[in-house]
Amino acid sequence: MSKKVLVVDDDPDVRSFVVTVLEENHYTPLVAQDGVEGLEMIEKEPPDLVILDVLMPRGSGIRLYRKLKTDDSLKEIPVIMFTGIAMRSFLKSQKALDEFNGGEVPKPDIYLEKPVEPEELVRAIQKKIG
Amino acid sequence: MSANKILIVDDEEIIVRLLSMSLRSDGYETLSAYSGEQGLEVFKSESPDIVVTDIKMPGMDGLELLKKIKEIDSDKEVIIVTGHGDIDSTIIALQYGASDFINKPVRDEALAIALERAKEKIYIREKLEGYTKNLEQKIAEATEEIRRKSNFQKLLIHSSHDAIVAFDHDWKVVVFNPEAARIFGENAANVRNKMTIQDLYSQKVADSFKDFVKNQPQKKDIPWKEMVFKVKDGRQIPVRHATNVLHVKGEFMGIVNFFQDLTEIKQLEKELVQSERLAAVGQTVSGLAHYVKNILIGLKGGSYVVDVGMKKNDTAKLKTGWNTIKNNINRVADLTQDLLTYSKEREPEIEPCFPNEIVEDVIDLVSNVASTNNIKISKVTDPGIGELVVDPQTIHRTLLNLVNNAMDACVEDEDTSKKFEIQVKTYLESNTMFCLEVKDNGCGMDEETQARLFDPMFSSKGGKGTGLGLLVTGKLVEEHKGSIDTDTRLGQGTTFVVRLPYKKADAVDRN
Repeated sequence: MSKKVLVVDDDPDVRSFVVTVLEENHYTPLVAQDGVEGLEMIEKEPPDLVILDVLMPRGSGIRLYRKLKTDDSLKEIPVIMFTGIAMRSFLKSQKALDEFNGGEVPKPDIYLEKPVEPEELVRAIQKKIG
Repeated sequence: MSANKILIVDDEEIIVRLLSMSLRSDGYETLSAYSGEQGLEVFKSESPDIVVTDIKMPGMDGLELLKKIKEIDSDKEVIIVTGHGDIDSTIIALQYGASDFINKPVRDEALAIALERAKEKIYIREKLEGYTKNLEQKIAEATEEIRRKSNFQKLLIHSSHDAIVAFDHDWKVVVFNPEAARIFGENAANVRNKMTIQDLYSQKVADSFKDFVKNQPQKKDIPWKEMVFKVKDGRQIPVRHATNVLHVKGEFMGIVNFFQDLTEIKQLEKELVQSERLAAVGQTVSGLAHYVKNILIGLKGGSYVVDVGMKKNDTAKLKTGWNTIKNNINRVADLTQDLLTYSKEREPEIEPCFPNEIVEDVIDLVSNVASTNNIKISKVTDPGIGELVVDPQTIHRTLLNLVNNAMDACVEDEDTSKKFEIQVKTYLESNTMFCLEVKDNGCGMDEETQARLFDPMFSSKGGKGTGLGLLVTGKLVEEHKGSIDTDTRLGQGTTFVVRLPYKKADAVDRN
């Protein structure tokens, strides 16, 4: 059975692109339009990998990422950040939240800044889940 | 009373001596002469205050002496001593300026009374002289003071940085200072006391001042306000203007207009706004990077999807990919146009057009996206609007931006049970404003979003917003001298009202 990959992105263009990439490489794509919907889907049926955007109007990737990494039942799910936001900005926001909340959330394993060639995306996915 | 020296002239020595004795005992100083000729000599050398002379004397008689004395000094008092019934001589003496008459024989009391009267006359004349002299000096001083003050005021008016134009009660120009001459491009000499208000101002402006005076007699002035003043040669000059209506004892005396030329200030303001705007574009560039990245991923992703579709002969994929590419080409086009519109100065191109038709066009344009997102768009247009002279571009782009925002507000609303609706309304306000209202029942805005609505780079739409939309709309509306009002409630929706000044199409010269 092919592995399930959840794409969480508010941009339908990005979703259709990533979905096509996944299909082409024999993964099963799942899609969510924002962080809130993404979390619902993950909680209902944990995927093998999450490809996560950062800036979304409802339930940002920042929040969803923290939720995933601090929830014991979810923190093993690998996450690829896939966003137009520079990694530096993302890490800065995480660091600020770490200080605010106490504790430390691990950095994302793979951080891809848009735009990304399909091959690069595929390589990243393969690196995480084969 | 200083008139103390009295000359007594009579050819009868005894009379002179008797009178002298009597007068000296009264405290006078007396001089004596026994003929007209001698009297004149003594008069010349001693300059007595009063002369008492007999009329009938051999040689130079009293009348002749009187005449000579009066020629020398008309202020000297001469009392004539006459015989009974000598009316003719008395009349001549009066004509020569005699001050009094006593009949012969001279009684002491009569002489005393005559002298008192003469002294009184001298006293009064002296006093009067003093008064007159004083008065003349005072008038001279006052005149000088008035002249000085008037000169000062003239200088003030002359050198004022404000243009000062005053009209009298017949609306004739009475004050027209150099700054006014400069602003109006007129030679002061051709205006002052020559032109009336309608020669100097346009008919409309002249009438407005006349109406103000006529219809609001209780009002004394028009406070400072900015306006654009059209002068006779067609130049439009931005000015600050104030007017005072002058009344004296309740009667209309005229008006004074003050103008401050704002051309330079306006130019500076314009340059400032322009440089701020460019800076804003600079700020936006970093904000835009994200947006541009999204467009790029759209184009790249779209072409990838098209490639896959072609390879597999998958029409659905081809369609999705192609739509993505088209969408993103449009995003590039819109972004470019927004950037250009925002960074460049643009005059609204006003022309006769039908705003309601523009509304229809825009609704047509967005209807597909709206129905995909289950949003109903309705319009309530005032059929009475017809053809107006406004900038159709401003209406089109403003409405498109507001409707797009409204749709986004619906799409982003977390309450998916709502029946989303956007209402576009047009109406006219007080015959001067064309109003465009866009009302949605979407997510509404929180205070921060509301406060930053017109900030460059600010977007509440994540990667989908450039932060330029309302900025551009705001600029277009501002350039059209219009206004934008917002009413929003978080979770309930937002209403934008744009007001644009218009002219009636038939009222405008189409040449």
